Amino acid sequence: MNWARFTAVIAKEWAEITRDRLFLGLAFIVPPILMVVFGLGMNLDVEDIPLAIIDYDHSPQSRDYAYRMIDSRYFDFKGYLHDERQIAKLISRGDVRAVVVIPPKFGEDLVAGRAVAVQTLLDGQFPLRANIARGYIGAINANYSQELIANFLSRAAGFSPDQARQQMGNLRIEMRMLYNQSGKSIWSMAPKLIMMVLMMTPPLLTAVSVVREKERGSILNIYASTVSRAEFLLGKLVPYAGISMVNGVFLWALAVFYFQAPFKGSFGFFLLATAIYSFTTTGIGLLVSSFVKTQIAAVVMTMVVTLVPAILFSGMLFPLSSMGPEAQAIAHLAPAMHYGQVIDGAFMKGIGLEKLWSSVVSLLVYALVLFVLAHRFFTKRPQE
Amino acid sequence: MDSAPVVRIRGLVKNYKDVHAVRGLDLDVPRGSLFGLIGSDGAGKSSTMKTVAGVMGYDHGTVEVFGQAIDSEAAAERIKLRLGFMPQGLGQNLYPDLSIEENIDFFARLRLVKADDLVERKEKLLRMTRLDKFRDRAMKNLSGGMKQKLGLVCTLIHEPELIILDEPTTGVDPVSRRDFWAILAELLAEKGISALVSTAYMDEASRFHHAALMHHGRILAHGEIEELIHLQPGTVVSVAVQPQLEALNRLRSRFEQVVALGNFLRVFVPAQDASADEVVKDVLSGLEVSEVQTDTPELEDIYVGLLESSGDGQAVRDLPSPPEGTVIHLDPDRPVIEAKNLVRDFGAFRAVDHVSFDVRPGEIFGLLGANGAGKTTVIKMLTGILRPSDGAGSVAGADMRHSGSTIKKRIGYMSQAFSLYQDLTVVENIRLYAGIYAVPPKEVEPRLRWIVDLAGLEGMEGALTGSLPMGLRQRLALGCALVHRPPILFLDEPTSGVDPMGRREFWDVLFRLSRQEEVGLLVTTHYMVEAEYCDRIALMHAGKVVAYDSPAGLKSDVEGRFGQLLEVRCETPYKAQNVLRSGGFDDATLHGRRVQVLAPDAEKVKTQVKSLLERAGIPVHDIRRLPLTMENVFVQNVLDLEHKAGMAA
Repeated sequence: MNWARFTAVIAKEWAEITRDRLFLGLAFIVPPILMVVFGLGMNLDVEDIPLAIIDYDHSPQSRDYAYRMIDSRYFDFKGYLHDERQIAKLISRGDVRAVVVIPPKFGEDLVAGRAVAVQTLLDGQFPLRANIARGYIGAINANYSQELIANFLSRAAGFSPDQARQQMGNLRIEMRMLYNQSGKSIWSMAPKLIMMVLMMTPPLLTAVSVVREKERGSILNIYASTVSRAEFLLGKLVPYAGISMVNGVFLWALAVFYFQAPFKGSFGFFLLATAIYSFTTTGIGLLVSSFVKTQIAAVVMTMVVTLVPAILFSGMLFPLSSMGPEAQAIAHLAPAMHYGQVIDGAFMKGIGLEKLWSSVVSLLVYALVLFVLAHRFFTKRPQE
Repeated sequence: MDSAPVVRIRGLVKNYKDVHAVRGLDLDVPRGSLFGLIGSDGAGKSSTMKTVAGVMGYDHGTVEVFGQAIDSEAAAERIKLRLGFMPQGLGQNLYPDLSIEENIDFFARLRLVKADDLVERKEKLLRMTRLDKFRDRAMKNLSGGMKQKLGLVCTLIHEPELIILDEPTTGVDPVSRRDFWAILAELLAEKGISALVSTAYMDEASRFHHAALMHHGRILAHGEIEELIHLQPGTVVSVAVQPQLEALNRLRSRFEQVVALGNFLRVFVPAQDASADEVVKDVLSGLEVSEVQTDTPELEDIYVGLLESSGDGQAVRDLPSPPEGTVIHLDPDRPVIEAKNLVRDFGAFRAVDHVSFDVRPGEIFGLLGANGAGKTTVIKMLTGILRPSDGAGSVAGADMRHSGSTIKKRIGYMSQAFSLYQDLTVVENIRLYAGIYAVPPKEVEPRLRWIVDLAGLEGMEGALTGSLPMGLRQRLALGCALVHRPPILFLDEPTSGVDPMGRREFWDVLFRLSRQEEVGLLVTTHYMVEAEYCDRIALMHAGKVVAYDSPAGLKSDVEGRFGQLLEVRCETPYKAQNVLRSGGFDDATLHGRRVQVLAPDAEKVKTQVKSLLERAGIPVHDIRRLPLTMENVFVQNVLDLEHKAGMAA
């Protein structure tokens, strides 16, 4: 390693990055944008589902039932409908996602103690959303039924309504989510997004920066000079790993201040892990660059090898424990999973190196292996 | 002094999958030599140079540089400090966002040049290349000539013993090219550096000490330039004769190399007892011979001669007579193209500045200029693709401002961007163009056969266009442009990348089209030598027409204004150049081992030069007059223009 040549490569790379607007934008502007866009887009919480109600009964009971839906924060009430034939059009246009149809004689039948069926129509285009809406409506409905029973008990058995309610609720489930007490998906999502965004642009930039030199022909300066393979490759890696780390800090700030994700761990630990992760991700880009000749090929190949594992096998969308053994094995091969565990730990659980050292070591091994491979496959005297 | 060659190649073979780029090549580059690898695209020059520079592996043979066998990456590393390599492509290896100075600094740091040395060398090289005023300008904002000089500076910054320059002059305007050669010659002479330089321009051969002529991965001949010229002893006879076609056919039946250059027919007459011009006159007896000149052959004659004797040459053929059918008729007495004060602005930039000329039926008209001179813009305006900002013009009797669609039906257009579909076969391409130009269905078949015949593609009708060699593709593109039998044909840089044989054949087809079919041809080219094929030329520079005449007329104009070209053969030519410059001949330039000067009064200058050099202790072998080339014409016109502009400012 000759320090002067190594720093010459870094300085040149840095000058090119900072003067090329497109590259500079890709390096510093795109990652935060991606983080925000994904963060808003991947919010799995369902609120304000547009709702319409058809009330064929117009009794006090039916109105009371309807108001329980209307008042819920989960629904955005769009108004009463008068005709069932309107439903299909409204749902297909996406104006409403749920319609509750209260049948005639709803109040009368209830008072008489006869069973009543309330029809609910849901937009099933996105099963996840439909399921959640179904859950909400079911819960509201159950709540209403419970009150009806309580009222009946109070009348029949002579309890006061409060007593009756108390008797009804003898056994109830108290749920408390640990590490994300309010159950907001963005809280758990934001740290994972750091992992994903850092897996997107840094390897891409690294691969493109090497392949660009191949396409243009300036790589021949490297081939024709006495700069060593290690000096050149490390000189390429360091600026992009540095950019990745700076981005890591930006994205951390976005997660904490914009998405209000809790950060319970040590910032120093986060930085250390992010630095190692940055050398891993850019290492992937470097390795890809030794196999491709065009920038297009570099972009496509980097996307495939980085994004698919980062999204599918990192535990971001599907928990690792729910995967089959093969999928778990693949997940453990992907660096994103290890960083995912580190970052989850640092954000949600407030744990650090003492518990997560094995993940950090895995990332480190990753970075080293990738660099050794890139070094092995890079040649200054190719066959064409 | 070490007399071992700096580069020694034996039996080099390099294949790219199915392509055999180099097929058994032997080469020695003597120490201190400016060595030229001359050949067209695909001759194997780049592959050879890359293996020598140690930046590409090869399949068989031995390559030794400074006595070190380059057979592995580690072995190649050992010589790289003593080597400078400038790859092909203008400024392609430089960093566009870095300034001139930053580019140089980066190369210097890669090569571990000491800080003091760097400052000193950088200043000197920047001064020599006159880049010192632009040192902070980003490389992407430099002109082609400046990029090329910067590339040279970056290659030389670590003072290598051998530099390898791959086509450093391709795509550079003639003035910058001349400048580049002068700087290179000076640096090499001063530092005793050896250089291996490739070029596709035959006319640059005189710049080298030694040269190797390459073709299809092999070396046809190599040696000192003077030796090469004598490989095919003979004389070149140029003759103005009427009727030209008859004369051409007669000469062809007798001589191997006959080309039509505007009004002249140029014949290479191999050495024999009788005098060459008498032999030619004898062949042409009964025809109207108006002018006969004899010259020494040029390297291209030798190259083509060698190709023909090696069996790689192709028989020249008669143009097939066109099929019957619909033909567009124009008034034979009016020019087919008229441009009057054409102007085109792109924003604040005036790409074309009051350009006027006309092209007559059956004439080959050349629009000659460097890349970016405005040639393509003129063609685009005349063909109705681009609206002129000002001025008028008519093409095929129609006003170019209003009758774009009429014009498009009456012209053929072969563009520099290769216009054929590579994935279609030869026949499919022709049918496609027949469809585009609405050739009546009944006439498609005969025209298809005519084009196949014209382009020499018999037996290859079903071949994919992409698989054809460059020369054949160009002729197919020409054929497709002729499918509707237009009376006017526009050709935009038609011969880029075609080898000299292919170029001669291509021009032969053009000549016959113009003389036999009376097609008016407007050809743009940046190959100065190709201008000789034209009847008349407009020289373009920076959007303006700077000269407008026949090639002979342009040459005699330059001779009248600036003098004749003298070539001095003497000892220590580099020193001689400097002596002459300080003795008042500012334009003395080094060409290989000879010095050229322009002399307003040849006889007087001869004695002046001789006495100047002898007083400086330099023995003079020979001073002779050289015919002016189109490149001289171009350079003198442009320099004169820039000089006047400088005076005015």
